[in-house]
Amino acid sequence: MRMENNVQDKIAAAASTDQAATVADKINLEGASKTFHMRGQVIRALQAIDLSVRREEFVALVGPSGCGKSTILNLVAGLLPPSAGTVLYDGRPVRDLNRRVGYMTQKDTLLPWRRAADNIRVALELRCRPTSHSEADEKVARMMELVGLKGFENHYPSELSGGMRKRTLLARTLIYEPETLLMDEPFGALDAQLKLIMLDQLQALTQQRRITVLFVTHDLGEAITLADRVVVFSARPGRIRAIRNIDLPRPRDVFRIRFTDVFARYHEELWDVLKDEVTKGTDI
Amino acid sequence: MSGEVMTRTAALPGQTEAEEDVTPEPQGTMSMRYMVIARIMLVAAMFGAWEFAPVSRGIKFWLSSPSAILSTLWGWMVDGSLWAHLGATLSVMVTGYVLGCAVGISLGLLFGFLPRVYRVLVPFIAAFYALPKIALAPLFIILLGIGMSSKVALVAITVFFLLLNSTIDGVRDVDRDLVQSLRLMGATRIEVLRKVLLPSALPWIFTGARISVRYAFTATLLAELIAANRGLGFLIEFNSGNFNATGSYAAIVVLVAFSVTLTEILTRVQAMTAMHRN
Repeated sequence: MRMENNVQDKIAAAASTDQAATVADKINLEGASKTFHMRGQVIRALQAIDLSVRREEFVALVGPSGCGKSTILNLVAGLLPPSAGTVLYDGRPVRDLNRRVGYMTQKDTLLPWRRAADNIRVALELRCRPTSHSEADEKVARMMELVGLKGFENHYPSELSGGMRKRTLLARTLIYEPETLLMDEPFGALDAQLKLIMLDQLQALTQQRRITVLFVTHDLGEAITLADRVVVFSARPGRIRAIRNIDLPRPRDVFRIRFTDVFARYHEELWDVLKDEVTKGTDI
Repeated sequence: MSGEVMTRTAALPGQTEAEEDVTPEPQGTMSMRYMVIARIMLVAAMFGAWEFAPVSRGIKFWLSSPSAILSTLWGWMVDGSLWAHLGATLSVMVTGYVLGCAVGISLGLLFGFLPRVYRVLVPFIAAFYALPKIALAPLFIILLGIGMSSKVALVAITVFFLLLNSTIDGVRDVDRDLVQSLRLMGATRIEVLRKVLLPSALPWIFTGARISVRYAFTATLLAELIAANRGLGFLIEFNSGNFNATGSYAAIVVLVAFSVTLTEILTRVQAMTAMHRN
């Protein structure tokens, strides 16, 4: 009996220290890797990686295309189980779909039969988020204005440009204020000016609402502008090549920060790491 | 017209391009008018040939003529028998159709919802789908009698399988990423069904519903031809049985008008709902 108690105590103690170690982290990947089996071929999308994202931290993942950045988001969202290792969210393994995150995928997942405003509203119509009609109207109107889609409320997705659809998706993801945002190249399709405006708004929103962000991009400048930490990945199979803290004060002026010396130094340093991988990536 | 002439004369020289832009429509409307006229003439020629064909009285008996058919139709309308037969056919068809659609769509959505159950049932559904439903008509007659219910059953089962399959196809065609994105937002399975599966499968369901109108109509008619005492099918059967070719033709004319109207209504409904889909 005594021995059993002892063992139980030890387990409890171990559990509590585990809890203490992970509670500050929102997201924790521990040796998480992913391999796909496709037509008899084994594709290693992601090598075992360790990565933790602190609460309210903005982490940008950069790397050549096909390096498994999106796979990491899918693991955190619970859309894919890791082939090995664990993925923790709030210290608990992600088993099923992770409903605490808002996921803006690269793919356009607007509902084609709903107008722009109704697409943005959809999350507020769900039972898990009881919202009065007038409150939803007001939120949708505010969101549409924020992403610069005022006047396009009644357009169907097929009647919007690629950039507008992206902004509609962003608004749809932000409107229900998820505590964590997973973003997969959200502004890839936007023109340079609009992209800066969106970056500015994203920064303001995530700061104001204390959102944790995991942001995948191929644009190093975008990553440095927004992130607290930039993680550079190697070409496939993805591996972390470098992690760099970006110690730029907030709020950052997204329109001018790219002309500062500090920014240039970060950019040069990270680009040196990235460029080898990009050239490797294009060989594949 | 005079306004158009005015603007044209008032236009400055060198605006020939703008001038050409003003007058392109008439050609389109004219060709439309020609088409309608051509169609009317075609029909007139056909009926004229039918009416005045120089054939023997014996052949005329079997061939009938438009004027005889029209007068028969008129007679049916006046004594009200046409409406009774039409009503009988319509009520069998509509009841069977609505029943078949309701059950077919519901089960289709349910199977879309429970793919594992569906996978178990696939061979059985396929077997019944392949079966020509008309073969069941005699069975329904001994099970449900000669009245309306056996005919309704035949129509319903015909429509049911068509709608079941098109609904399942529609649900399977749903973009899984749309489902996933809504699930991540916290949608329950019922909410996913209502907000993604159903609207996404709707065009498929509509196509199935439109196609099965013809099948429902055929099934109704066949059921009435086999055993009935009223309905359009009975009307054809009865008149043919009495060697009344004119009566059979008249009933067929009613059928054509009936089915064209139905198809037209459904096409319009679908065009209205599908207007904004890409």
